[in-house]
Amino acid sequence: MSDLAGVAARTAFDDRADEASRSAAPTVQTVLGPVCARDLGVVSVHEALLSVVPGAQYAYDVTIDRAEIFETLAAKLTRFQKAGGCTIVDTTGMFYGRDVPLLEALSRASGVHIVASTGMGPEEMLGGYFLTPQTNPPIPWPAEKFADLFGREVIEGMVVPRVERRGSAGLVVTAAHHAGMTTVEESLFRGAAKAGLATGVPVSIRFGGDAVHDLEVVLDERLPAERVVVVGLDRKVALAAGAALEVASRGAYAAIDHIGSTDNVHVSDAERAALVAELVAAGHTDRILLSSNAIGYAVGQPPRDLPYDHLLSNFVPLLRAQGVGDDDVQRFLVENPRELLTVR
Amino acid sequence: MARVNTVLGPVPTEELGIVAVHEHIGYGMPGCELDTKWWKNPEERYEETIPKLRKFHEYGGGTFVDATGICNGRDVDYYKSLSAKTGVNIVACTGFVGGDSALPFFARASVEYLTEQFVHEITVGIGDTGSKAGIIKVGVSRGFRMTELDKRIYRAAAKAAVRTGVPIFTHLAVDSQPAIGIFDEEGLPLDRVLFGHVDDGVSQGKVRDTEIADMGGRLGFDTFGYDLELRDPPFWGRRRSERLEHFLRFLRGGYVDRVLASADANCSPLGWPGVKGHTVNYIFEQLMPDLRDAGIDEPTITRIFVENPADFLTIKN
Repeated sequence: MSDLAGVAARTAFDDRADEASRSAAPTVQTVLGPVCARDLGVVSVHEALLSVVPGAQYAYDVTIDRAEIFETLAAKLTRFQKAGGCTIVDTTGMFYGRDVPLLEALSRASGVHIVASTGMGPEEMLGGYFLTPQTNPPIPWPAEKFADLFGREVIEGMVVPRVERRGSAGLVVTAAHHAGMTTVEESLFRGAAKAGLATGVPVSIRFGGDAVHDLEVVLDERLPAERVVVVGLDRKVALAAGAALEVASRGAYAAIDHIGSTDNVHVSDAERAALVAELVAAGHTDRILLSSNAIGYAVGQPPRDLPYDHLLSNFVPLLRAQGVGDDDVQRFLVENPRELLTVR
Repeated sequence: MARVNTVLGPVPTEELGIVAVHEHIGYGMPGCELDTKWWKNPEERYEETIPKLRKFHEYGGGTFVDATGICNGRDVDYYKSLSAKTGVNIVACTGFVGGDSALPFFARASVEYLTEQFVHEITVGIGDTGSKAGIIKVGVSRGFRMTELDKRIYRAAAKAAVRTGVPIFTHLAVDSQPAIGIFDEEGLPLDRVLFGHVDDGVSQGKVRDTEIADMGGRLGFDTFGYDLELRDPPFWGRRRSERLEHFLRFLRGGYVDRVLASADANCSPLGWPGVKGHTVNYIFEQLMPDLRDAGIDEPTITRIFVENPADFLTIKN
């Protein structure tokens, strides 16, 4: 197994960087190839298109109808576009139903840029291959192997299992358990950070029990804070801990990413709007990201059937009511995601 | 009529012939499909697999029971083509190799849901293949102790076995007491359960083999060929003579009807290197000659490889 931090991976990345500098424009990896960062427009930076709980594809009472999935998602993307949306980031990672050819077809049909992700987590969502390998004793994968697995999805292409590699992942996502980061999850976080460093794509971390602790883990890998987005900062525990402010003051992006969710875990949209206003007042306008983590088509789990345009159509007016200016809203929806997603 | 579900439809028990009762077309831990280091194109898969099955057929092998559970790379459409082209009956299983290889959707599921999953695959079919499972796989997770999830899967399997009449085979025979307790509570006779891998190297000292057999359970001496004499044996390997002696003790001790034998080989492994040179045909090339050399007569060999598996695999309604 080659090491992504090694020469070959750097060379591949350098080639791409050279190409980008020749065309004199920074780019973002979408499922249809690199796109000029300035063309991204309004971005919803943390959403799910097709989301399949690992294993549900084998369930006796689940039928996966690709045509129906396509139709549903295409309609949602069109609605997002009509509301002013231009780019959507699918943060399901590599083991939650990601279907690269389907994402390509959706992007072509709708005209919406789609950025797909690599990565996995939390631990309970991993396959046994990573947790109980056929070795004695069965030692879970270390960070280096996760880094290699994720990095190859950027450099060599995303896997269509046992068929081919296609396209290029535009970011690395991982997550920790709400009760706190497990040992395996620390390997996932460190592996994601290493992959981000080696390939130049950003890293999204869904924190577990303590946002600042989890952020420090990836920063410990020398990944610059501005290459990291911390998601889940509109959870009640995060609000109580003042986590969004802490994350932003360390230079990472703070994502208020469950806009529209009204469950026991998350705060309300009104509280989210107040939190954004607070971050703006503290001078962190350039570190705020907004998203709704809607699931466009859910398999094997309850749907989170929120339109992708809820953020634009319903939440932005709430921000204005909080006194947040149009320039600032533009920062959250266009400039900040562009800066994050641009391959460095 | 006595019948067994194969991937190409039910067959009369009389047609099973010599049975390899615990084998794999290809096995990999869930998630290995994401790691390109194991990928092979379909041409290579067929090239690695077909000659082994053809040879099995030529040796007189009739039926290959695949022990690759849900989520481990089980691929029934592929098995159908292999069976049709080689003439070997292939029996596919429902169930899981163990809690370790049940993906999150199933790891979260209730006993009732898992039971429905198994019953559906046995009575209606596996996915949209139209093929029905002929046996249920269960197993003990790494660590030699049944986990809560392992027990949930065993209980669902027991309920499904009672409802459908197909048997159960296990990955590992260690920590058998909770398993026997579950089968008892669900009213499943122990002769419907094949406790597998009683002969593997890492399980020795942890298997109550005599007790299981005395209670009516069946013992799977089914890792024949994972010999420590190989150049690169797996960690569950065992010295060939020691395994054979273990088996002979049971044959000579009056347990012929309680034992089954197999090689647990992969025709083309999916997520691990496999063991070079080890195939299902070890049964014909090494094991049967070893048994004959040890003075085991032909009727006994027929009982082990034909009559016992026929009785075990036949759907009991």
